[in-house]
Amino acid sequence: MKNIFKKELMRVFSDKKMIFSLFILPAIVMIGVYSLMGTMMNKMESDIEEHVSVTYVQNVPEDFKALAAQTGYDVAAEIKYVAADASAEEVEQIKDDILNGDADLFVVFDKEFLAKAEAYQNAGDPIPGVKLAYNSTMNYSSAAKSMFEAMVLDVYETNLLQNRFGNMDLLTVFTSEDELIINEDKANGLMLASMLPYFIIMMLFAGAMGLCVDAIAGEKERGTMATMLLSPVKRSSIVFGKLFGLSVLSALSSVVYAVSMIIAMPMAMGGLGMGEISFSVLQIVELLGIMVSLVLFNVCILCLLSVFAKNSKEASAYVTPVYMVVIVLGMLTMFNVGGTAPATSSYAIPIYGSSLAIQAVASNELTLAQFGLSVAGNILCVLVMVVVITKLFNNEKVMMNA
Amino acid sequence: MIEIKNLTKIYKLNKKKMMELKTKETTKKAADNITLTAKPGEIYGLLGPNGAGKTTTLRCVATLLTPTEGSVSVCGYDTVKQSEKVRENLCFLTNEIKLDPHFSPKYLFQFFGKLHGLDDATIEARRKELFEYFEITAFENKRIEELSTGMKQKASIAVSLVHNPQVVIFDEPTNGLDIVTARNVTDLLLKLRDEGKLVIISTHIMSEAEKLCDRIGVIIDGKKVTEGTLSEILAETNGADLEDAFFRLYKEHHKEEK
Ligand SMILES: Nc1ncnc2c1ncn2[C@@H]1O[C@H](COP(=O)(O)OP(=O)(O)OP(=O)(O)O)[C@@H](O)[C@H]1O
Ligand SMILES: [Mg+2]
Repeated sequence: MKNIFKKELMRVFSDKKMIFSLFILPAIVMIGVYSLMGTMMNKMESDIEEHVSVTYVQNVPEDFKALAAQTGYDVAAEIKYVAADASAEEVEQIKDDILNGDADLFVVFDKEFLAKAEAYQNAGDPIPGVKLAYNSTMNYSSAAKSMFEAMVLDVYETNLLQNRFGNMDLLTVFTSEDELIINEDKANGLMLASMLPYFIIMMLFAGAMGLCVDAIAGEKERGTMATMLLSPVKRSSIVFGKLFGLSVLSALSSVVYAVSMIIAMPMAMGGLGMGEISFSVLQIVELLGIMVSLVLFNVCILCLLSVFAKNSKEASAYVTPVYMVVIVLGMLTMFNVGGTAPATSSYAIPIYGSSLAIQAVASNELTLAQFGLSVAGNILCVLVMVVVITKLFNNEKVMMNA
Repeated sequence: MIEIKNLTKIYKLNKKKMMELKTKETTKKAADNITLTAKPGEIYGLLGPNGAGKTTTLRCVATLLTPTEGSVSVCGYDTVKQSEKVRENLCFLTNEIKLDPHFSPKYLFQFFGKLHGLDDATIEARRKELFEYFEITAFENKRIEELSTGMKQKASIAVSLVHNPQVVIFDEPTNGLDIVTARNVTDLLLKLRDEGKLVIISTHIMSEAEKLCDRIGVIIDGKKVTEGTLSEILAETNGADLEDAFFRLYKEHHKEEK
């Protein structure tokens, strides 16, 4: 068994191509994707900030210019005045521009906006209105609308109310103050918690996939499995040697994934505006425990599927649907953040339970029972699968395609 | 010593196999009540046309398949109940069973030596001897995938002989080899026989069976139709040579079938 274990490792470490595709390539891809994501998001944000929005206004109140100058709106946006008697075509043109992104906002004040507002006395008097036309699918346009509301409309509102009541405090019924009482770890963890299980589960499975398919179905295809079966070694030793070797390899490759993710995360998170994430020793131990059980589970299920295949191609065909299921299980938890807590028993479901547990670790909520269940669920399946795989290795129909 | 007693092997056919064999039956009797004995110091040849059941018989001997009925023993060990013991005493060579292309002959030799439970010194001594005989010392550190077909064949023979097995099974030994390499292989088989090993091969090449085999068992449609030395078979069938004898047996067999 020791020799077969060693050979599985040798297989990878004596082959530059394998080392590259298993350890170096994922690291490069991970770091590449994340830093790209980070820079793109940063670029988008600064882009919106730098963009000078084009705003068309019609029927502006007399003091609009003064107000815009006072709040600095005339610098923040390029204001274009539209004549009160503008034709329908002109208005259409502006709306088209907004649709295309050539303009960002079209504001139409009611005629005699200020006069109406100031003349208001009793209920039933006419209330002046403002129409804002913008394109909610355009980031620039949405930003232009928010800016106009904050720098122009809100100021008007305050001024007019001030005039109407003299004292603004009359309008204040009470004050409220928000005090945020949140677990800092949880708040930061929440974001991470939603994505971490998905990433871990996907990369662990992907890392083991090629390896297992090649080590079982590939060997059958090349006729090297039969050579192994002809040696006076118990079939169970072959199975154990292979499973352990593959587990160690896929664990190693997932360590590479994890390390490159830790390096790359801050780059991407900068873009999302996320805080620092730090794990306690207990959290790391729990995470490792879950991951080890996951690696074993993945290796077993992949080998089990590969045993049935005559060649790598067939094995890939069996494995792909399972990969999809795994991805979906990882994603299920992604959308469940902050929702109703799943039943404790669901932690025992392989993969899905691990996904829940990883999520709970990240938001610092994992109980010992949940941890135990998720690991036990995986390991139990592993034991069953090991027995089945050993049986299959003794089965000539499966091994010799007879 | 190999003792095959009433060996019958029935394959279950799936739909695809049924199509391939153009049959409506769901099973295929590949070996039909075969009984034979081969002794150390002889080359026993299974001669038969394609699909006769030669490979099936040899795989049963090599523990890769379990007989549906009957039993096989190698060196006194039963291939089903003591399969590990049997595997310690034999080597099985075919074109389909290959060495891992990513490793060097040297590494694989040591690997299989260890699987056979040999110590390093023994492995090293065996390796020197066999690698020199097969002239693979020069490329012992190259990966199998870099070697030519002939070199690969030599390497895989050398590796499978690591444990100095008493029984050597070879399914179509010269299939796909050029005359020079084929000659190397047949020379080796003769050498092994002279060392007192039991060699059992399968072939459909008449000249190979004539020149190489001490005793020949003719297999047609899974049945052993006759057995003996070349002269015994020729005498029995009144054939001029083995090919002639074979066709007489073949016709005879098919007459019985109808
Ligand atoms: N795995 C299998 N499943 C079903 N039928 C099989 C299987 N292997 C072989 N057979 C059938 O059993 C019969 C005997 O096959 P076998 O390979 O033993 O013949 P052979 O004498 O070695 O022929 P060849 O000279 O072509 O190698 C053939 O009809 C073959 O189609
Ligand atoms: Mg054959």
